[in-house]
Amino acid sequence: MGWTVNDALFMAVKNMLDWVNVLFILYMIGYSTFLFLAVVIGSSELYKKRQQEKLKNTLLQDYYIPISIVVPGYNEEVTVVETVRSLLALEYKLYEIIVVDDGSKDATSQKLIEAFHMHPIRRSIHRKIPCQPEEFIYETTAQKVPLTLIRKKNGGKADALNMGINACRYPYFICMDADSVLQYDSLSKIVRPILEQENVVAVGGVVRSCNGATLERGRVVEYQLPNNILACMQVLEYDRSFLASRILFDKFNGSLIISGAFGLFKKDMVIAAGGYDHSTMGEDMELVVKLHEYCVTNDMPYAIKYATDAICWTQVPERLQDLRKQRKRWHLGLFQSMWKHSVMLANPKFGPVSFISYFYFLIYELLSPFIEIFGVITMILAFAVDLINVPFMVLFFLIYALYNCVLTLTAFFARIQTIDLKISFMDVVKAVLLCFFEVCVLRFIMAFVRATAFIGYRKKKLNWGRIERQKINIK
Amino acid sequence: MKAEILIYAYLAVCVAMIGFNIACIFVFRVKDKRLNHYSQRFIRIVRQVIADRTVTEDHCKYLSKKLKKINNLMAFDMTLDDLFAQNPEQTKDYIRQLSSLFTYLTLEYREKSEIQAAYFPYIIKKYKIFQGQPIGIVMDILLELVHSPSLYVRENALQAIYSIGSAECTMNALWILNESTYYHHPKMITDGLLNFSGDTKQLAERLWDNFDRFSNRMQRVIVDYFRFSSPDHQERILELLTSHGVDDEVAYSCIRYLGKYAYPPAYPVLTDIVEKYQHDQWIYTSITASALSGYPGDRTVAILKELLHSPNWHVRFNASQSLMALGLYYTDMIDVFEGRDRYAGEIMRYRFDQKNMKEKEAVGIGLDSK
Repeated sequence: MGWTVNDALFMAVKNMLDWVNVLFILYMIGYSTFLFLAVVIGSSELYKKRQQEKLKNTLLQDYYIPISIVVPGYNEEVTVVETVRSLLALEYKLYEIIVVDDGSKDATSQKLIEAFHMHPIRRSIHRKIPCQPEEFIYETTAQKVPLTLIRKKNGGKADALNMGINACRYPYFICMDADSVLQYDSLSKIVRPILEQENVVAVGGVVRSCNGATLERGRVVEYQLPNNILACMQVLEYDRSFLASRILFDKFNGSLIISGAFGLFKKDMVIAAGGYDHSTMGEDMELVVKLHEYCVTNDMPYAIKYATDAICWTQVPERLQDLRKQRKRWHLGLFQSMWKHSVMLANPKFGPVSFISYFYFLIYELLSPFIEIFGVITMILAFAVDLINVPFMVLFFLIYALYNCVLTLTAFFARIQTIDLKISFMDVVKAVLLCFFEVCVLRFIMAFVRATAFIGYRKKKLNWGRIERQKINIK
Repeated sequence: MKAEILIYAYLAVCVAMIGFNIACIFVFRVKDKRLNHYSQRFIRIVRQVIADRTVTEDHCKYLSKKLKKINNLMAFDMTLDDLFAQNPEQTKDYIRQLSSLFTYLTLEYREKSEIQAAYFPYIIKKYKIFQGQPIGIVMDILLELVHSPSLYVRENALQAIYSIGSAECTMNALWILNESTYYHHPKMITDGLLNFSGDTKQLAERLWDNFDRFSNRMQRVIVDYFRFSSPDHQERILELLTSHGVDDEVAYSCIRYLGKYAYPPAYPVLTDIVEKYQHDQWIYTSITASALSGYPGDRTVAILKELLHSPNWHVRFNASQSLMALGLYYTDMIDVFEGRDRYAGEIMRYRFDQKNMKEKEAVGIGLDSK
């Protein structure tokens, strides 16, 4: 009996699906193992830290390392004054604030000048990293710490940050967003890794969503999960990603991202590495990857740390449209950073940074939306040729979703319990329900968004990536 | 079948993690409640003892039994905190009478895990338990803790040692750090030494007597400690600066010291440094440019003006700062403003703008306060 063309085609599809099946199983096992390890290690690290704090295994003296805070801004007239006020309320003695207005079209500079009675000053900036020229500079020393405003020609966020670095007086600088609020103790917490370990070149802080929180002088006075469903799901997502992966990567000096919303850097090292790259969208990730490459290439001992208790509160997008914009930027930034530093791929010189961190970001961040969409298409194809056991597939998917939810909730509760935040029973119910929705629905929407991020990206290359902001709830 | 194994594995992890979460919530709640309960019990007992004004042997026995457990020690700490807030003098007196109990507990906590061992020196420091009365065995154990690989254990032990105020024990602790392979940030040692509660002159003498035996890194820490604590070391610091083969970092600290506490015999040395290093070692030049602000005079002004033309930004920056600190007027700097060096003019213009701004702000603050 000879095979018909249909039989041959059927066998070819079956063979292909078998292979795809194996690859998917490996992909899912890889991700679930990573997630499991990350959440278990992350949670135990947080619980250990809490125990250490209770038993005073922490630096109890105030050791002040001088810090320059660089706040780049573009059209931030709504939030910039409040942001600077919150920075002036930080409980730390030795720091300065540098606001860089990147050629805003609104009254960002004027608002600051008026609010803090700043004076024009003829200051020459020592340009160690190239950046667009300044238009004017204002300063004041009448506040708790020196405050500088530099208005420069528009050049993008990375360019504004480079100007800020050039103007810094102190050996360490913090970069943050103009619409974020640092917790009152965030500076003393973020400098700790520098005191604890030699050769620390950068420290990442924790970025938490302030939607739903009320802050007073950098302290959370009221906390509940946001009423907006999208924001609420991002709270869970942030806890999973910040708690899980970053603590795990920190264990082997493998952090590849320090959020642009809150990170501390050693100035000399950043200057030596060339500063922020204004040609990429993800300048925050690019800088960290560049620091890895620079230090390893030059055989310099270094450490990039993560401070689990240094907190920055930021607004997460409440509209799907804004979230899409943000995630597209993040994905493009990820691609540009990884492409630019592809020398790190499977390069033994970089050790675990290459074989774990870089590989993880390549497979489970950069390529994951394509893999996930390909998976859905494959399932449709398998269903069409009747090669799939639908009830089993549904069961498998549900259990996989349950697994993701449980680990996400573990990360969420670990965070809540270790920072002594109290949430209501209704918030717990909300977290549990929305967690399923996030894993089963939002994740796929975001996969699609990220997969389509490359469409028309050249046009937006140097945009600041505006999303609609509201005033942070500060009492 | 293989896929089913995977499903079972996922389910098992889910169940384990749910169990873990519930257990954590439960354990935290119970622990917090228990801690408060213990603390309340201690408060009742200790209040009675304070009222009676005598610490009986029975009370000591009771505490020595209870405080061996870390949770009880934490509750006792909470109790003392409360009592201190209400009645500081009587509580101090009460703690003073417990020194033999704490000597015994030091031995007990030496055997505990690292995280618990670190808590005990914290208590010693917080309540100044052995202040002014160093007890051999306690000091030995604290020094043992300074050897620990854990930064927190080391730091808490060091703080306890500083609080007791024994110069000899502090010296021994510095020796341990000097020889140790574990990293202890220099700033933590410098700032820590400032908490030394004993005779600082005696400590300084011991540090000078043994200075040459310390590593360069520790020497720098010691000079920085002198800089923040006392102007009494000018002569020796100058001697150190001019000694043969002094380490660069130590020399920088010496120059900073002599900048903070001006010492006329140091002036020619500082000007020589500027002359010698002006063209090739900018760190020396920039630090000395700062230090010269403490030595007013025409020659200083001339040197600093010359440094304004340095190709190095840091040198120009520090020289301009020192010129302002010397109280020069705009007219004194005409030659700089009218000179051909744009960078020198720019940096001085910035300084004068800053000065004007500060004056305006001072007037503003004055008006506001009226």
